[in-house]
Amino acid sequence: MKHSAAKKQRLPALLLAAILLMGALTGCRSASAGGSTSSPASAETAVRGFDPSSTDWDAIVKAARGTTVTFYGWGGDADRNEYLNTTVAQALKAQYDITLEVVGMDIDQILSQLSGEKQAGTESGSIDMIWINGENFRSARENGLLYGPFTQSLPSYQQWVDMKDTENQQDFGYPIEGYEAPYGKAQMVLIKDSARTPETPKNAQELLEFVKQYPGQVTYPAPPDFTGSAFVRNIVYELCGDTQFQNMAADKETLRAAVAPAMEYLRQLNPYLWNQGKTFPATSGEVETMFLDGELALNMSYSPFTVSTGIEKGTYPATAETFVLDNGTIGNTNYIAIAYNSPNKAGAMAAINYILSEDGQLSQYRALRTIPVLSPKLLEQSQLDAFHAVDIGQGVLTQEELLEHRLPEMPSALVPLLEEIWLEEVVGK
Amino acid sequence: MLRPLQRRKIRRRLAPYLLALPALALLGLFAAGLVSGLMQSFGYIPAFGLTRFTLDYYRGVFADAQLAASVKLSLWISVSSTLISVVLGTLLCTALVRLRKVRGFTLQTVRLPIQVPHTVVALFTLCLFSQSGLLSRILAQAGLLTSQNQFPNLVFGSSGSGILLAYVWKETPFVAYFVLALMQSVSQHLDEAAATLGASPLHTFFSVTLPLSMPAILRAGLMIFAFSFGAYELPFLLGATSPKALPVQAYIEYIDPDLRHRPYAMALNGIILLLTLLLAAAFFLVTEHTAKKLGGDGHAT
Amino acid sequence: MRRKQSRFSRLILAAAAATILFPLALIALWSVSSVWEWPGVLPGGFSLRGYETVFADYQQMPRLLLFSAELSLAVAALSTLVGLMTARAIALYRFPGRKLLLFGTMLPILVPSTVFGMGAHVLLIRAGLAGTLRGVILMQTVCALPYTVNILTDLTSSVGDGLEEQAQVLGCPPWRAFWAVSLPELLPGILSAMSMAYIISYSQYFLTLLIGGGRVRTLSTVMVPFLTGGDRTVAATYAVTFLFSVLAMYLVFEGLIRLMARGKGSEPWNWN
Repeated sequence: MKHSAAKKQRLPALLLAAILLMGALTGCRSASAGGSTSSPASAETAVRGFDPSSTDWDAIVKAARGTTVTFYGWGGDADRNEYLNTTVAQALKAQYDITLEVVGMDIDQILSQLSGEKQAGTESGSIDMIWINGENFRSARENGLLYGPFTQSLPSYQQWVDMKDTENQQDFGYPIEGYEAPYGKAQMVLIKDSARTPETPKNAQELLEFVKQYPGQVTYPAPPDFTGSAFVRNIVYELCGDTQFQNMAADKETLRAAVAPAMEYLRQLNPYLWNQGKTFPATSGEVETMFLDGELALNMSYSPFTVSTGIEKGTYPATAETFVLDNGTIGNTNYIAIAYNSPNKAGAMAAINYILSEDGQLSQYRALRTIPVLSPKLLEQSQLDAFHAVDIGQGVLTQEELLEHRLPEMPSALVPLLEEIWLEEVVGK
Repeated sequence: MLRPLQRRKIRRRLAPYLLALPALALLGLFAAGLVSGLMQSFGYIPAFGLTRFTLDYYRGVFADAQLAASVKLSLWISVSSTLISVVLGTLLCTALVRLRKVRGFTLQTVRLPIQVPHTVVALFTLCLFSQSGLLSRILAQAGLLTSQNQFPNLVFGSSGSGILLAYVWKETPFVAYFVLALMQSVSQHLDEAAATLGASPLHTFFSVTLPLSMPAILRAGLMIFAFSFGAYELPFLLGATSPKALPVQAYIEYIDPDLRHRPYAMALNGIILLLTLLLAAAFFLVTEHTAKKLGGDGHAT
Repeated sequence: MRRKQSRFSRLILAAAAATILFPLALIALWSVSSVWEWPGVLPGGFSLRGYETVFADYQQMPRLLLFSAELSLAVAALSTLVGLMTARAIALYRFPGRKLLLFGTMLPILVPSTVFGMGAHVLLIRAGLAGTLRGVILMQTVCALPYTVNILTDLTSSVGDGLEEQAQVLGCPPWRAFWAVSLPELLPGILSAMSMAYIISYSQYFLTLLIGGGRVRTLSTVMVPFLTGGDRTVAATYAVTFLFSVLAMYLVFEGLIRLMARGKGSEPWNWN
């Protein structure tokens, strides 16, 4: 009997050993694979002796040929992921023979990783391109996490970007100085379902009436969520104007005094808000879900064409409409920067050059309806026509309407202070 | 040359240390991580130009008016979810043992929540209990609600009930699974004996099975308490804007774009660490004491 | 009396099963719904949009799933091996520092992974392990260790070393004694520890992202931004995919356990 028992155990024991072996092999195999892809820098400098600060574009393109470039940025947008992984990746392969690797990671973790690498003195990391803007750019610059200046070397930048535009000189009031290249323009918009709420609040007063008419059906994401923070800033602009903030010192008490009318207004809104303003949704994703669920009457987004892509996908009702405030809503540009210890700076620059080019911006506009960063003044008529020919879909505003109602961002140093003030003065008050 | 007996004696003495070596190496890495974190909490981050040891960040944490509220919230969530999960888990375990369902489909179903990550639990908690969730919809269909606002604010409310429900869902099966082997072993060996001596099943349970299973129950309770106290995901996704649970506050400071908030985050982590270790030590002593009272190791015989 | 008891127990089990399965069924329903407005109790429409998005070509989902499974298997194997050795030391020997070791192995559960992850990150960067698969495996093994040690300690002390000693007295070398005598008894518990460690590793998000630096792509790291995002259908689809892939592996482990149980007949303690 012992024999048969032993025999019956041999099979499972063998299977177990097989599993263990497979696991061990993975460890060894992929460890070496992981190891090999982490030394392109040595390959790069050894083979080409490339100096990324050179402005010889041909040399840069040559050094980039056949390499892999990583692009780190927020991965929660399925459409953008698809766009980057298909359209952009194919174009980069065709044009520069570059393999694009898109990595989805929150910007705070990206900066966290870079600062960790800085702490440990890592000279060749794994991040090449970074999707970044605002406070994060400022923080990255102040901590020396970015490589630059590099935009002066990019032909696309020289040709099509209006360097006199403030949004290309400053990012949330912080000087760019060539350390990041424009990627796309965003603008804060408000969204409603006209089948449920025929009224469109176009200023602070109308908004107050709106929430009184639809109590419990309006809210905004709690700062420090990006969109929620922008909404609060927008209210501040509505009630306190925008010019006084452009050169304000980064002092909490000065800011508190300046935004007091806006905080008072937000407190006035509270009793009519979702959950009486005692608590706010943590992310803009939650607000969007609640809007689509029918729980909220108002949604807000930094992507002005969310509604048209949403209607096409079937997630948004056909009666959804986008609108902005009469005094304007905040618009900003988001950018691509290069990590200070990027192992493939040449490849990163080539990739950014493509994204910034007329081709890249047009394909981005077509796929994602992201407002292009190219200056219309510098484009030829045929190129402009190509942009206008793109069908922006239903329920959205045209580029012109958006740009006419566009306000500049607040200096990035003030943003976290404002977020703290909001938390202290508005939540549950 | 050493005689076999002497050789064996030496081997016997060395053996445990050799066996424990890999674990010690891993724990060494763990300890190094903790130490590194603590150093950062004292302001020592050379890469940011911070080289002075200071208590400033701890002082900053304690000066925050919200700290007490955060600690209270974290404690409330952990203590309640642990108590409920331990009671329900033990009950569930008893049912499993009594029906001898210790493997197969039933056990796999009970084990399922252990395999479900917390983010997914947050997702369906929202689908069920948010103001536009399934429960609210059912009540609306029954005519008890006319708008979503009328549904109580279980999720996102300051009571943290949504977080509580989510933790209980995940932890009750964990307790049941954890205690299962011991309780089954006890039951198998002693139930019959107790019955022979005339004890009713209920009496057997309360005076024999339960006390002997207590070490495993307590250990499970400690594990889930510590986890729910220090984990940030569920309170982050299901919690109110203010007060934030302690680990959520630490996480937010950690991801702050201004990297100079980092030591502040580490100080908060330091406080979480201190509280968790104190509780762990206390519970450990209690468990060992209980085990000694019952005789033996407190592990399955 | 017994029947009443078992009816009560059955009730508890039924309630537990319902509470466990219902939310998961709800998520599955969300994953195939196209629109589901309040106060509808059933979806307003059905579509496979979620699955089309998640399984789109460029996502390389099969490769991702295979890689995640392999990573977690490696962690399971490693942590079980270490757990087995440590359990043996704790269960079968009395030595100074034993209690300390036991307490120490519990620490990675008691201390939140965010706490020691943030601290260890810098060290791993210096050691050149950050951004590598090895680094991630190492950190996840630390996280899984308490579970494997815990499961295997009880088991090891239960099995004891009496039979092994007897074998050694009869002239069997110690390694062989372990392999032929104790190991078969321990196998079901080893599998149980492995499956526990597997799930710990598979669900790990924060540490994988932190230590892996985006270069170690697992199902968890890919899906979490979507779980917290606004598209509930896609989120639910990811959740369903995750659960199915975990269950598939569990079936493998469970199958092995059954094979072993059949080989041994019924034992006094039944490790599942």
